[in-house]
Amino acid sequence: MGIARIADAQQYSFIIGRSGELQLELARLREQIASGVKLTRPQDDPAGAARVVRFDASLAALAQHREASGFGTDVLSAEDAALKDAHDVLVRAEEIATQQASGTLSADERAAAAEEVRGLLDALTQVGNTELSGRRVFAGLALDAAAPFADPPDDLNTYNPAAAYTGAQQGCEVKTGSTATERVRITTRGDTIFQPGLQALHDLWRTLDTNGDVPATLAGLKAARETVSAERASVGARQAQLVGRADVVTGLEVTDEAARARVRDADLVATVASLAQAENALQALLAASGRFAQTSLVQLLQI
Amino acid sequence: MAISSSFDIARRALLAQEVALAVTGNNIANVNTPGYTRQIPELAAEPPTGSSDGVLIGRGVRVRQITQAVDPLIARRLLASLGDRGRHSALAEQLGALGETLNEQRQPSLGSALSKFFDAADGLARNPGGLGERETLLGTARALASEFGSRSQAIAAQQRAIDDGVVALAAEANGNLEKVAQLNHAIVAAEANGQVAGDLRDQRQLLVNVLGEQLGLHGAEDASGAIRLTAAATGTVLVDGGQVVRGISTRPLPPTPAGLDGLALHEVGFTTPAGGFISLPAAFDAGELGGLLEGRDVAIPAAQANLDVLANGVRTSVNSVLTSPGAIDLDGNPGVPLFGGTGAADLAVVLTDPRRIAAARSVQPGDNQNATALADLRTALALDTNADTVGDTSFAGYLAEEQGRIGSAAALADDTAKASALLTTQLEQERSAVSGVNLNEELTNLLRYQRAFQAAARIIDVTNQTLDDLFQVL
Repeated sequence: MGIARIADAQQYSFIIGRSGELQLELARLREQIASGVKLTRPQDDPAGAARVVRFDASLAALAQHREASGFGTDVLSAEDAALKDAHDVLVRAEEIATQQASGTLSADERAAAAEEVRGLLDALTQVGNTELSGRRVFAGLALDAAAPFADPPDDLNTYNPAAAYTGAQQGCEVKTGSTATERVRITTRGDTIFQPGLQALHDLWRTLDTNGDVPATLAGLKAARETVSAERASVGARQAQLVGRADVVTGLEVTDEAARARVRDADLVATVASLAQAENALQALLAASGRFAQTSLVQLLQI
Repeated sequence: MAISSSFDIARRALLAQEVALAVTGNNIANVNTPGYTRQIPELAAEPPTGSSDGVLIGRGVRVRQITQAVDPLIARRLLASLGDRGRHSALAEQLGALGETLNEQRQPSLGSALSKFFDAADGLARNPGGLGERETLLGTARALASEFGSRSQAIAAQQRAIDDGVVALAAEANGNLEKVAQLNHAIVAAEANGQVAGDLRDQRQLLVNVLGEQLGLHGAEDASGAIRLTAAATGTVLVDGGQVVRGISTRPLPPTPAGLDGLALHEVGFTTPAGGFISLPAAFDAGELGGLLEGRDVAIPAAQANLDVLANGVRTSVNSVLTSPGAIDLDGNPGVPLFGGTGAADLAVVLTDPRRIAAARSVQPGDNQNATALADLRTALALDTNADTVGDTSFAGYLAEEQGRIGSAAALADDTAKASALLTTQLEQERSAVSGVNLNEELTNLLRYQRAFQAAARIIDVTNQTLDDLFQVL
């Protein structure tokens, strides 16, 4: 049905209603510009709102994976440094054993060498007890725990390297992804790494102390050094794995953040343009309402 | 024909134009009166009379009747559309409010509380012996429970507010039915005596439209001028003539099912003149009342049920990990549950000693296996949404789906309400085009009737001068 005539109340009602709508639109656009966000309620974009919830959850998980990777890298770096020290200790022990194996040294020199080996035994024990922020690196990262390796006693004859380790039997893994398989081991039990070294150093000390067969100790020292070297290689590989994972996580975060921004964030250029458009529409409406009064016979006839 | 008859013609014309001017003035005066229907003075020529030479001569003008500019078809369509608008607007408003309550786009959100809880679990996995990490886990668990609780409270409060609205609306509608019956009586009495009842009709139509938006009604006017109102959904007669046949009332529902706050909700029904209560839920499916009832009884319980699914899923999954066989706390004791409760409303942290959190699966210092398993719940398909005892959705996934569901329902209701409002606006414009006052038109009429009045006065003047001339001859 066509509208043949328009009532005055209808015109004013339209102006009031439309100006209200435009003012609401202006408020919405101004809020978008101020906050930078266009998606403020689920009904604005239901599918987008659901995606934003997923992006938020994904980004929170990724942040934890990045955190875990960083933490793991720190622990492995501390391990690597400690293992280097252990390696140096064992290399020095091999040098001593090689020198003593020549058989041309005096008893005093053998005693001095034994004393140095005793120091190396203490040093390797200290390496095994390495702490990072109060946590034992080679004892499952136990917090505020007793030193996992017992100090060698004054009388080394009573020392048993096989029983020196009393730390955790449990290794520690960090979570670098969502699935249960995305784990990286960041600790190794200290006894598996250092017990061969402690045993080899103790054997060398005993051999020197008893003027025994020093060359026979070289094989044990070499094996112990190789155990430490192998663990260093493993630590290096896991460090690289964590660094690589952190890079991947950072990339995923950038991707997710960009995708979330596309759904959630306001396009400022488009929003400002829409704001100008709505302001113009409101001004035009108000101007039109003024003109409407001028077209009344009340004014034209000056009644 | 006597010359004096010209005076009669002029007199009638003056009276008729006076009435027309008064009607026009009344129209102008009511230009902004809501629901006012413009009135039209219908002028008609007086029946002619025969002159002495047998010629029929007119006897002037009279106001035959004053009518209202009404299109009954538009009024009926408008009444039907008001019922739709009332229903959809009320439902859209309730779903919009629900969307705000469960809005995950603003902080603090349930999703962020969940993330922080699992962040704390991750932190505990990195340092299972750390008391700080354990306190953080407890704190974020309490915050999570609080978020569930506050949302449940808000949903329950919204349901209670709707129920209060239902009771108030029913009472208001009942009062309006009484007024319509009274106006019916007054209109029939006035028009039977030949009086113009336009203003009474306008008052009644306004009330009928309000009732239509409140309840969803059909209305039909009978020959006497009374309007008969029936419920749109069931055809139940509410008002017939000057009588309210069925009033609207509410009564508390039986204790079960109670509202989400544990208090009784109200049932809407009909009252009989004898004071009885007739339960007929289908009759109240339309209008604002229908929208409120759907929000109260369907949308809100569904939202709460879905929130309960999530809360229960979190509670059982977390407790299951913490009390799993082999789970050990910091002092080597078996694990205990972290959360208690039966749903979102009463989800609570029941573990108070941070040392009792079972982060390990052995007594080995530094064991983080259970804390890692707890952190794994962040993305695990831990939520069983189809009751097959197998998890099929992650917490975040469920929250996202729920956000989409609520948003879609609110957006759909909003779109439907806007479409319904648009149709109503269109019909109101059509009604206004017929019945509304246009000042330019009325001012033109004013001038027209003024000029006619002046001309009639001139007839008297000319007739008077003619008589003067005649008297001078005599």
